[in-house]
Amino acid sequence: MSTSTTCWKCLSRPSLLSSQLSSRIAQVTVSAPFSSTATSLAPPLIRGNNGPQKGVKGTTAIKKKNRPQQTGKPPMPGERKALRKRVVLSNTNAIEVQDLVDLNQETVDGLLKENASGEYTSPVAGKVVGLPGTTVDSLRAIESFKTSQGWGLFRRPSLLVRKEAIDLTKSLVSAAKDQITQRLIIDGARGTGKSLMLLHAQAAAFAQGWVVINIPEARELVSATSDYAPIPDTMPQLWTQPTFTSSWLEKIQKANKTQLDTLKMTKKHNLPIEVPSEISLSRFLEIGVSDTDVAWPIFQAFWDEMNAKDRPPMLLTMDSTSYVMGMTEYRDKAINFIHSHDFVITKLFMDLFSGAIKMNNGGAVIAATSRSNSPTSISMDLAIMQALQRQAGEKLTRRNPFERKYDERVDSALRDITVMELSGVSKAEARSLMEYWAASGVLRQRVDEQIVAEKWALAGNGVIGEIKRNALNMRI
Amino acid sequence: MPPRLNLRAASRSLAIRPRPSMVPHQPRITQVVARRAYATDKEQPKTPNEAPLGHVSEEAADLGKVMGETEPDIGQGTSVQEILKRDQEGKEKAPEVIKEGIETPSKNTSQTNTVAHRLALGDLENVSAEPVGHKFGLPELPLPSNANLHYRYDPVVDQVTNLLMQHGKLSVAQRNMSFILNHLRTSAPPKTNPLRPLLAGSPPASHLPLNPILYLTLAIDSVAPLLRIRSQKGAAGGGNALQIPVPLGQRQRRRTAIMWILDAASKKKSRGSGKTQFAQRVADEIISVVEGKSNVWEKRGLVHKTGTSARANLMFGQKRRRIAS
Repeated sequence: MSTSTTCWKCLSRPSLLSSQLSSRIAQVTVSAPFSSTATSLAPPLIRGNNGPQKGVKGTTAIKKKNRPQQTGKPPMPGERKALRKRVVLSNTNAIEVQDLVDLNQETVDGLLKENASGEYTSPVAGKVVGLPGTTVDSLRAIESFKTSQGWGLFRRPSLLVRKEAIDLTKSLVSAAKDQITQRLIIDGARGTGKSLMLLHAQAAAFAQGWVVINIPEARELVSATSDYAPIPDTMPQLWTQPTFTSSWLEKIQKANKTQLDTLKMTKKHNLPIEVPSEISLSRFLEIGVSDTDVAWPIFQAFWDEMNAKDRPPMLLTMDSTSYVMGMTEYRDKAINFIHSHDFVITKLFMDLFSGAIKMNNGGAVIAATSRSNSPTSISMDLAIMQALQRQAGEKLTRRNPFERKYDERVDSALRDITVMELSGVSKAEARSLMEYWAASGVLRQRVDEQIVAEKWALAGNGVIGEIKRNALNMRI
Repeated sequence: MPPRLNLRAASRSLAIRPRPSMVPHQPRITQVVARRAYATDKEQPKTPNEAPLGHVSEEAADLGKVMGETEPDIGQGTSVQEILKRDQEGKEKAPEVIKEGIETPSKNTSQTNTVAHRLALGDLENVSAEPVGHKFGLPELPLPSNANLHYRYDPVVDQVTNLLMQHGKLSVAQRNMSFILNHLRTSAPPKTNPLRPLLAGSPPASHLPLNPILYLTLAIDSVAPLLRIRSQKGAAGGGNALQIPVPLGQRQRRRTAIMWILDAASKKKSRGSGKTQFAQRVADEIISVVEGKSNVWEKRGLVHKTGTSARANLMFGQKRRRIAS
């Protein structure tokens, strides 16, 4: 600090001289020279009713109410949230539907039968199928079931096999046969069954012995709620999410345990820790589960192993995809937001979508959008629109030249994707679904053509979430 | 909706035109010719707005064309009597001749034009005798009780929803109601207590979860009190209130029971978190009512007990009236 007494840069009043200041402090200290009694020796203040002081008005402060004492044990940390997020998959009150076909390998094979005019002739086409117990366990492990999907109303989880689902199954089967990587985005209005289409793909994949890897909610990748770390010596800088990756590995291991137990390690990997050779892939993933620091290297090695010869095909799925189509909430060293494609898990999905990475044994990468509570990504929306127009042979919509918010990296990742656009189910499908509800004893109504047509029309021409809301939720 | 007819326009163009005899398939072009022509070329309108209005039926026909409604058949013309029938003021000011015509309506003005009449004459072809024009058919009579917009839902569910509502937020109340009914059908069947009998003739407890509306109704109706106690101030002498039992109607009984259940639920502690917590507690309370565990039963018992002991006071008002007379 400059020692000059006046502020030479401005015209403000000069500050106090240091000598003046010290003299003031001295004055303060000498103001009560005769009081040498310690405050602790002073007589205690008399509390209580001293009567109103003369000339002082009493305060009209509101008296505090006696709150009732909280009795009982308070809930443990996380217990209340767990109750809220609990997924119930069975209702013991509901009637078990007789002769419900399971979605197993045999059914999946039978689904693909067509007649000469290209119609699916399988007896379960357009009908409700049950999910077998092992598939349900696997789907639960990868967190495919959501709380809002109404699983808790029926005796066991079951799915409507709609036409689009058979199309999807067909493309999965062909991907495994031709060892190609299917790239698909499922889009559609709110409540049209995008997440359930993902679930159908996962169930069909489990039935065929695929290895399924799922991101149930892409928001978890970008919301900065799990820890992150830079990967050294990467240009541009890449980042990992160790805890997330570790718990992800656990889900993968749990869901695909029967399949991964049979697969042994074959390759040598450059890993930061010693790994016993010739262990099963399931055991190998467990190492990554226990040690978060090596979770990502373990996943990389796992990916290499899965792309070795004679391995089962893989299905990678992601829901609420628009979350990973932009910046994350994470920040780098310079306090700038990090792009979501700089995180390795998201990068894997995007490389698969752009075609930079392929799965050697065939497989599919499927992403579903969310149209209820998710950020808008104009790049993704444009890519979806252009893909639909390309599929229909129409003229492509050009990007808006006055818009700045397009994301180049999203554009390049989604350049040539395939899009499945979902809309309402047909009346026949709606009817078989409502018949299943009625057979379960949950829908207490006659199911005839008129009622089906009414519900179908009220639900925006068969938007399945709206049919459910209208007929099943008893919102009256 | 028929277009509004005003008399000025009507009287301006009361064209006395001979009604054409029944020519149903007359081509439209003749109607255009039949329109009033302009006296001179000079008076021809330059813009469509300057054109004088046609007579009532023509105006109605034009309006109908614009609005996409069924337009009146211009070929028929509109009789003055018919116009005046709808216009009381015009009727009073009408000329005597026309007044007479109204009082003695000629038979051939209206009756000969009905579809039935013309059908009988064999005049209309390709028209079936069955009533036509109903796209979805006529409803079956008598109408069901929930056919009215305001009574479309179950009365108990409706009442509970309204009593659940806070700050006028009906949608939130409906969501809570939906949660309650769904909770009732997913929770285990209740274990009924023989000391707390439910309504006579109620189905077994195992049947209740799949019929949640019945479950709710049964809980409410079983615990609903038959009466309430009215305290008449100073009537017992010495400034004491006199307790007089008053019988309740069905809706009032239900209301009392629902309010008791809601009070009990609001005093409970919620175990989870989220916006469905109150609904959860209400649903739990309903289950405990059916199981006979709820304190609402005590309230009901107390009211009934007081009512029994105070039944001597039933004649309170009537006695006084007798004395006064």
